[in-house]
Amino acid sequence: MRSKFDEQLSTLNRELITMGALCENAIAKSAKALAERDLALARSVPDLSVQIDEKERQIEGLCLKLLLQQQPVATDLRVISAALKMVTDMERIGDNSGDIAEIITVAELTAADETEDISAMARAVIKMVTDSLDAFVAQDVAAAQAVIAYDDVVDGYFSKVKKLLIQRVRSAETDAEQALDLLMIVKYLERIGDHAVNIAKWVVFSITGDREVTP
Amino acid sequence: MTKKIFHSLCLVAFTVFLASVVLIMVVLYGYFSRIEQTQLRMQTQLATQGVELGGMKYFDDMDIRDYRITWIDEDGSVLYDSDADNDTMENHLERAEVQQALSSGFGESQRYSSTLMERFLYAAQRLEDGTVLRLAIAQNTVLTMLLGVGQGFAAVIVIALIASVLLARRLSRRIVQPLNAVDLDRPLENEGYEEISPLLRRLDGQQSQLKAQQTELQRRQNELEAIIGGMSEGMILLDQTGRVLAINPAAMNLLGAEGSCTGKDLISLSRDLDIQHALNRALSGFREEKSVTIRDRQYLINANPIISEGKVSGAALLLLDITEKAEAERMRREFTANVSHELKTPLQTISGYAELIQNGIAKQEDVQPFAGKICSEAQRMMQLISDIISLSHLDEGMGDMHFEDTDLYSVSEAVVQDLQARADKAGVALSLTGGPAPISGIPQLVHSIVFNLCDNAIKYNCEGGHVTVDARGDGTGAVLTVSDDGIGIPAEQQERIFERFYRVDKSRSKASGGTGLGLSIVKHAALVLGAEISLESNLGKGTVITVRFS
Repeated sequence: MRSKFDEQLSTLNRELITMGALCENAIAKSAKALAERDLALARSVPDLSVQIDEKERQIEGLCLKLLLQQQPVATDLRVISAALKMVTDMERIGDNSGDIAEIITVAELTAADETEDISAMARAVIKMVTDSLDAFVAQDVAAAQAVIAYDDVVDGYFSKVKKLLIQRVRSAETDAEQALDLLMIVKYLERIGDHAVNIAKWVVFSITGDREVTP
Repeated sequence: MTKKIFHSLCLVAFTVFLASVVLIMVVLYGYFSRIEQTQLRMQTQLATQGVELGGMKYFDDMDIRDYRITWIDEDGSVLYDSDADNDTMENHLERAEVQQALSSGFGESQRYSSTLMERFLYAAQRLEDGTVLRLAIAQNTVLTMLLGVGQGFAAVIVIALIASVLLARRLSRRIVQPLNAVDLDRPLENEGYEEISPLLRRLDGQQSQLKAQQTELQRRQNELEAIIGGMSEGMILLDQTGRVLAINPAAMNLLGAEGSCTGKDLISLSRDLDIQHALNRALSGFREEKSVTIRDRQYLINANPIISEGKVSGAALLLLDITEKAEAERMRREFTANVSHELKTPLQTISGYAELIQNGIAKQEDVQPFAGKICSEAQRMMQLISDIISLSHLDEGMGDMHFEDTDLYSVSEAVVQDLQARADKAGVALSLTGGPAPISGIPQLVHSIVFNLCDNAIKYNCEGGHVTVDARGDGTGAVLTVSDDGIGIPAEQQERIFERFYRVDKSRSKASGGTGLGLSIVKHAALVLGAEISLESNLGKGTVITVRFS
């Protein structure tokens, strides 16, 4: 009985990591498409979002099945409920990546000076997502807390890019529409960072049972 | 063990005990019977004498406790009985002992009472007057005797039981203790009792067999580990759920994994979706080959299912680093594309002019210059093809060319003479300095190095420029220096000029008839000869190329 449960738990773990890998892939593709203005690459991102959605439903189903059939307690219950919450955040990361890709395909973005900062911000966000998944894989509380703390860096980039864009619009150097598109992109990036923080928090919860984290 | 020994001991004790009891009973019973019978006879005689002397009066004085005395008349009626009233008693004439006594004077018999618990011995004697005196004594049967000594027997049995328990414990301990104390690692060195020595010998035999097998296994394991560990390819073995069974250091390094990886899911080592896809395909029973990029390097994943008894029991992943191969492949493709392009250009010119002449569009006076163009383009093509041929010769290795003693200075001298005319035409002063420079090399290659370097120096020069060729020996080898004060090479392009078909200024080299292969040939020839090339160039000031032959 327990061995079957263990098998199901390890399947859940594997599926979660796979979903995380899909998310990493989606955001990495969006960021690359943004940096290189690669429209074909950007168009391939929504496909990934669909895959991520499917994975989410699959994992949700697995979690509910486990809750119903095995009636887990203590650590097992924490792991499964954390998984249920984590897939939601991962799904949002996939959606936001898809949104960024959509802006790239629809809006006519020309190379602007902010791109360097946006690329750096995208790299930071990818690092957060990767690190949060690494923390989940390694079940490492310290690494998860590092991800939570790293959110400040991404927030810093966000306000920096925002200020730059405001200046540009004021001095009429950049088309206001483009500035808004870029602002949307950095906002999505910032949201992805927040979701990575949430994932990290759920990792901490599933290990320690602690929901309030003091970084 | 203790229980078994106890049972055996008990069995032995009880058997011995019962046998003794039976024996003793039989012997004792016979003995006692005889004594009683003797006593009974004596008492009967005494009583007979007493009765004959004293008559009935004897009975009154007689102290009777153990015996029952009966006086029977000739006709069998009872005259006196010590235990019962004589009037009520039946006629005793038919009794065996009485009959015997009447006929022979003395009779004996024995009978069981109705309860079987008692046996009576009878003795009868005829008196002078013809009457019979009979004495009877109750004799204990075996059963009553046994009942009498029952307590004693019970005590003996209890003692036997206790002794059996103690002995059984002690014995089993003494049997088992040496067995427990056997040193299994060195069975033959034990000092047990000799009954266990066959066991010890067998243990020793198995022990050494095990050791041999273990050594053999270890050796094979080490061999396998050495092979897999030393492989530059990454190898991972997985079970059917995708957990790692074995992974070699190369694969761990490649996936960036640390610590112990066995038992973990592959996906927790690498989240690369391509690797995961290949693994899933293999676990569904299909072979899969896939090229992936991990940290800027190209790998070829070879995923094979491991099938045992018709079912997929796992998968083997082989990761090959194909970065260099892919790069070489790319270069070859580029080269082919370049060659075709370079060959096409002069051909287009040739066919263009030839078409003009063929259709009669060209004026009569133009035919000759057109033919000149066709001729020079054809020569350029020939030059290009001979360059490609010499390059591919260099690529394939020098099959039919051999190292021989040659002199760098005399080769340079010949080249300078050959090129003098071309230099004059371009308005470039070509001079040779230096002295004897004996080297060991392949003359054709040395010649093509000097020729191509000088040719380039003249081609990429300005009118009124100078080219100086210097060849001299320096004890250990020879140095060739070709310096010019021509156009020079931009610093950022200096690295690339040895690439095939690479040209700094494309338009200029077309005009000067270059193929873009000259320096590439120089580089390859130098590689074959083991010579070193160094380049020093300033844009607009000139170039110095030094080749060191050792």
